[in-house]
Amino acid sequence: MTDLMAITALGAVAPYEFQIGGLVIRENTELALASLSLGRGQGAPTILGTSMPDVGQWLAGPEVSAFWTAPNQWFIEGEGRAHEDFAAIVKAAAPDCAVTEQTDGWVAFDVYSNDGFKPLEGLLEKLVNIDLNGFGVGTALRTGLHHMSVYLIRRSDTHVTIMGMRTFAAALCHALESTAVRLR
Amino acid sequence: MTRLTGGVIDHETALRFTFNGKTYSGRKGDTLASALLANGVQLVGRSFKYHRPRGVLSAGSEEPNALVTLRGGAREEPNTRATVTELFDGLRARSQNHVGPLHRDFMAVNDLLSPLFASGFYYKTFMWPRAFWEKLYEPLIRHAAGLGRLSGEADPDAYDKGFLHCDLLVIGGGAAGLSAALGAGRAGVKVILADEDFQFGGRLLAETHQLDGMPATSWVTAVMAELAGLENVRVMPRTTVFGTYDHGIYGAVERVSDHLSAADGAVRQTLWRITAKRSILAAGATERHIPFPNNDRPGIMLAGAMRAYANRWAASPTRHPSDPVIIFTNNDDGHRTATDLLAKGVPVSAVVDPRSDAPTFGDYELITGVVDDTKGRLGLTSVRVTQNGQSRWMPCGALGVSGGWNPNVHLSSHHRSKPVWDDALLAFVPGKDLPNGMIVAGAAVGQGTTVKALRSGVEAAVSSLAALGIAAEPIDLPDADDTAAAQTAFWHVSRKGRAWVDFQNDVTVKDIVLAHQENMRPVEHLKRWTTLGMATDQGKTSNISALAVMAELTGKSLPETGTTIFRPPYTGVTLSVLGGGDTGKHFRPTRYTPTHQWSASQGATFVEVGAWLRAQYFVQPGETHWRQSVDREVLAVRSGVGLCDVTTLGKIDVQGPDAAEFLNRIYCNMMGTLAVGRVRYGVMLREDGHAYDDGTCARLSENHFVVTTTTANAAIVYRNMEFARQCLWPELNVSLISTTDAWAQIAVAGPNSRTLLSRVVDGFDLSNEVFPFMACAELTVCGGLRARLFRISFSGELAYEIAVPARYGNALLERLAQVGADLGATPYGTEALGVMRIEKGHAAGSELNGQTTAQMLSLGRMVSEKKDSIGAVMSRREGLAQDKRRLVGFSPIDKSEAIVAGSHLFTQGETRNTTTDQGWITSAAYSPHVGSSIAIGFLEEGDARMGEVVIAANPLEGREVRVEVVSPHFVDPEGGRLRD
Repeated sequence: MTDLMAITALGAVAPYEFQIGGLVIRENTELALASLSLGRGQGAPTILGTSMPDVGQWLAGPEVSAFWTAPNQWFIEGEGRAHEDFAAIVKAAAPDCAVTEQTDGWVAFDVYSNDGFKPLEGLLEKLVNIDLNGFGVGTALRTGLHHMSVYLIRRSDTHVTIMGMRTFAAALCHALESTAVRLR
Repeated sequence: MTRLTGGVIDHETALRFTFNGKTYSGRKGDTLASALLANGVQLVGRSFKYHRPRGVLSAGSEEPNALVTLRGGAREEPNTRATVTELFDGLRARSQNHVGPLHRDFMAVNDLLSPLFASGFYYKTFMWPRAFWEKLYEPLIRHAAGLGRLSGEADPDAYDKGFLHCDLLVIGGGAAGLSAALGAGRAGVKVILADEDFQFGGRLLAETHQLDGMPATSWVTAVMAELAGLENVRVMPRTTVFGTYDHGIYGAVERVSDHLSAADGAVRQTLWRITAKRSILAAGATERHIPFPNNDRPGIMLAGAMRAYANRWAASPTRHPSDPVIIFTNNDDGHRTATDLLAKGVPVSAVVDPRSDAPTFGDYELITGVVDDTKGRLGLTSVRVTQNGQSRWMPCGALGVSGGWNPNVHLSSHHRSKPVWDDALLAFVPGKDLPNGMIVAGAAVGQGTTVKALRSGVEAAVSSLAALGIAAEPIDLPDADDTAAAQTAFWHVSRKGRAWVDFQNDVTVKDIVLAHQENMRPVEHLKRWTTLGMATDQGKTSNISALAVMAELTGKSLPETGTTIFRPPYTGVTLSVLGGGDTGKHFRPTRYTPTHQWSASQGATFVEVGAWLRAQYFVQPGETHWRQSVDREVLAVRSGVGLCDVTTLGKIDVQGPDAAEFLNRIYCNMMGTLAVGRVRYGVMLREDGHAYDDGTCARLSENHFVVTTTTANAAIVYRNMEFARQCLWPELNVSLISTTDAWAQIAVAGPNSRTLLSRVVDGFDLSNEVFPFMACAELTVCGGLRARLFRISFSGELAYEIAVPARYGNALLERLAQVGADLGATPYGTEALGVMRIEKGHAAGSELNGQTTAQMLSLGRMVSEKKDSIGAVMSRREGLAQDKRRLVGFSPIDKSEAIVAGSHLFTQGETRNTTTDQGWITSAAYSPHVGSSIAIGFLEEGDARMGEVVIAANPLEGREVRVEVVSPHFVDPEGGRLRD
C-alpha cells in the first residue's frame, strides 16, 4: 500500500458534497473505471457476472456494472474499488479484450433527488441538450455540458451520475452547483 | 386619472412606480404603458432624429415610440418597450433621448432643421473635407445616434440557459395558440406553449367578444386551468420565441424575474433552446397605421391598441376623462374601437373613414373623409378632418388609427420563406417553403376572426400530430364571432407636410419619395437608404405601409414591389442571456493539472495553455522579475534536478494485434519495429505532407503502445487516429482510447534525476545498462503504487517522465521535491521548459505551425520510404520537397541584444521585402546556459550557412539584430548528457 496520499479531482481530501432544495450532488471518488474494447470478430464478454449492455444502456451486475460508450466498447465500473488495480481485474476477466485503466481519467458526480425525477429533470434541462423523455432508468449517453464532454447515467428514478474528464472537474462542479443554485 | 372600470387587472392591488422621478400608482396586471395612460401621461419620449414628442402607439412588442430606460446603476436597461414592461411595485423608469426635461428637449431644434436631415443625408453631407470624417463627423454622429444609453457597468444579474424537447411547440397563446395547445395536449403529446405576454389569451383579452355567451377571458381561464393540469403540457408565459433555427430548434427567452420588485439574486432571464418535432406559429397580427401629416403626436395610437387599453387594462388613451376620442380607419375593425370606448364611457366624437360605403356600428358621427393634420405640441389637442374637399379642425384628446392588420409572419420567414401577398386580406401571409414542421395558424396566417383563429389552431394541431403518426380528434370549440372586418386599400393621406411611416427612425413619406427619386427603389435599398425598419422595432408597424407608398410611386402592385424577409431575433434579446450566465473565469471551462495544488503552494504563476492552466514559473523569495525565476529554474535543472508537470501532453492507449502496423501508418517514421520496453520519437504528417505533431511512442507490450502527443494537438491527434481506425483502415484489429487525464505525468530532469528517482521506485534498477535512454517500463513506486516510467528528455539532460494514477500526482510531486531537496530538486514551469528546449533545438508549436515540413525541421530522413504513412507521398511532391529552409540556431553578434521571435531574416546588405525574405525566427529566449539571447528559426539553406551573419529584422518595432547562424543545439550537441 502506497504511503502517498490521494486527493480528489477537485484537489481536496474529502469528496465534494452539495445539497440544495431537493437535490444532493456528491462526488464519487471510489468509483473504479476501466474501458473494454473488443477486437475484430470478438464476442462481448461477461465481466464478473455482468454482461455488456446494449447501445446507450447501463447495466448493474453483482460485482461490477457497465455502460456502453462506443461500438464494441464499454466502461466497466467497480464501485468502491478506485484504489485497486481495477483494469488488471477486468483484464483478467477478459484477457482477449483491450482494457485500459480509466479510474482517474474521470470525475463522477452523483446527483440524487429526494422528490422523484422532477428536480433532476429541472437540473438536467439546464445542463444538457438531451430529450429527457428518452432518458429512462438504465440509459447511458455521452453529450456536451458547458463545452465539456460528459457521460450521463440514469441509475435509478432519483439518481443520475454525471461523469466528466477529471482535469475539468472544477468547471463541471461549478456548472452543476451554480445551475442547481439558479433553480431555486 | 383616466382609469376605467373592468378589464383584466386587479383593481385592488396598487403598485407604485416612478416615471422621470415622479411617483404614480398603477394596478397589478398593468404594463408600464397602461399605467402611464391610466395616469393621463401621454408624452413618454422623444423621437430618434427630430426629437419629436412621442406617446404610446401600440399595446405590444411592436412598439416604436414608448421606449424607456428602466432601473438604474448597473441594472439600467435602455430602450425597453413600456408596452411590454410588466408593472411591479417600485419600478423606476425614465424617458430617453432628450437634453433637458422631456417636455422641453433642447435637441428639438433638430425638428426645425429637418430639411437638412432627409434620407441618406449623412451619406451626402459628410463627404468633405475628407479629414473631418474621423475626427469630427463620426464622433458627432456617434454621439447623436442611439436612444437610451448603456450604463457602461458590468451586468450584475444572473442569467441561465437550458434545453427543452417537445413534440409540438406552440408559439403564441391567443385564440389559435390556445386551441392548438389544448387539442395537442388532450392527445397526450409533449407540448410547449409559449407567449411573450405575462397573460395568456392574446387579443381575446383585448376584445369584448363572447365565447359560448361568456366573456372570452372565462374561456381563457378554463383552458389555462386544463393545460396546467396536463403533465405533458408545459406552459411558458413571459417567453418570447425569437428565432427559428435549423433542425427544428427554436430560440426562446424566458423573463424569469424581470417583473419582480425584489429579484433577490434570482435568475433574471433564461435562454432556452427548444427542439420541437413540429411547431405551430400562432403569433397573431400587428395593426398598421395610416401615414398622414403630423401623425406622430402623443395621443395618436393604433385603434386596436386603444381598444386593448380600454378593455384589458381599463385605461383611457386621453389625458382627461372628458377629452373626446376620434377614430381614423380604413376598415370595420377601427369602428369596433369606437363602440368599445363608448361602452366604457369614453366620449367618441367621430369615426373618420375614407370608404364611401363605410357602415356605422354605434352612436357616433361617421365622417367619410380623412384626417390630414393635427395640433398639440406635447399631446394631441385637435385633428383636421377633410371631407369632400372641406376641412375642419375637431378638438380631441386622442386619435385611434387603423390601417388594417399585418400577420406576424416573422418566424415563418427565418429560413428565407418569402411571404406572399393576399389581395383579399390586403396583407402578406406566410408563403411556401416554411421551416420544416411549421404550420402557421390564426391571425398570423390571416385567419383573424375568433372562430377562424380557434378552428385553425385545432386544425394545425391535428395536422401536426398526424405528421408524427398520431391521430388526434378535433376538440369542441366555443361559439364565437366570425365577422370579417371589411377594409379598403387606403395606405396614406397624400397632403403637404411630414407624414411618419417609421416612427422610431423618423422616416416619413417624403423620405420614401426621395429614395424613389434617387433610384433606391428595390425594397432592400429603400430600407437601407432611409433606415426604415432598421430600428429596435424592426419596422413591425411601418414596413408594409412603406412598401405601399413605394408601390404607389413606382406604379407597381405591392407584390411586384416585394417585401423584405425577417431574421432572428423577433424582438431584442440581451447579450447577457445569450451568454447563458457564465462570465469571467467561468466563461469557458478550465483544466487543472493533477499537481495544481502543490504548485500553487510553491508560488507558481499560472499560464493559460489552451484550456489548461499550467505553472509558468515559481517565484521564490527575493525574485522580483520573472526572468530571475526562469533562469534559476533552468540552471537548477542543468546542474541538479528539476520537476515539471507534463500531464497536459496527450496520451493515447493503442492496443491490438495490428497496433504496430496502425502506428506505422500514422507516424511518418518506422514505429512497428520498436522493441517492447522502448520509446521512440515520432513525427506525424498531415495528408498534405506538412508536419503537424510530434511526440513519443512507448511499447509497453507486444500489442500495447502509448502514444504521446503535444498538449495543443492532443484532441486533434486522437480524432485523426480514430478517423483512420474507423474509416481508412477498418480492417486493422486495433483499439484506441485517450488516457490523458488518467495519469499524472511528471518530468524529472537533470543530472541528479536518476538518483532522485531511485529514492521513490520500489526496487527498480535504473542503471544505464538496464534502463537506458529511450527505455520504458511499468513498475511501482512509493510502496506499491503502479506507475509508468519513460526515459525521455525534452531538456537535453538525463531525464525521465514518471506517470502515476492522477489522484496521486500531487503527492508524488511533493514527495520528489522533499526527498530530492539535497539533490537540488526544483520545480520548474513552462517558461523554463521552453528555454531548455530552445537551447536543445527541439521543435514545439512555433516550429510545428502547420506550414513546415519534416525536411525543414531537419527530420526529413525520418519520413520512411520503406512503408507508406499518412502524408508521406505528399511530402515528396514537387514544390514542397524542394523547400530549402532549414531549422538552425541564431546567436546575436552583440550579446547584449535580444532576438525577437517572429523577426524575419534577411541577407546582410540586401533590400528587405517579401521576395528577399530568407525565413523567420520561430522561438527565442534568454539562455542562462549560453549567457545571451538565443533563437531558432527557419533559414533558406540554413544548414549550409553556418557562421554567416544575417539580419533578424523586426520592422514592427523598427529594430534589427545581427545574428550568426549556428547549430540549433546550444547545449550538449552530441547528446551525451541524456544518454549518460
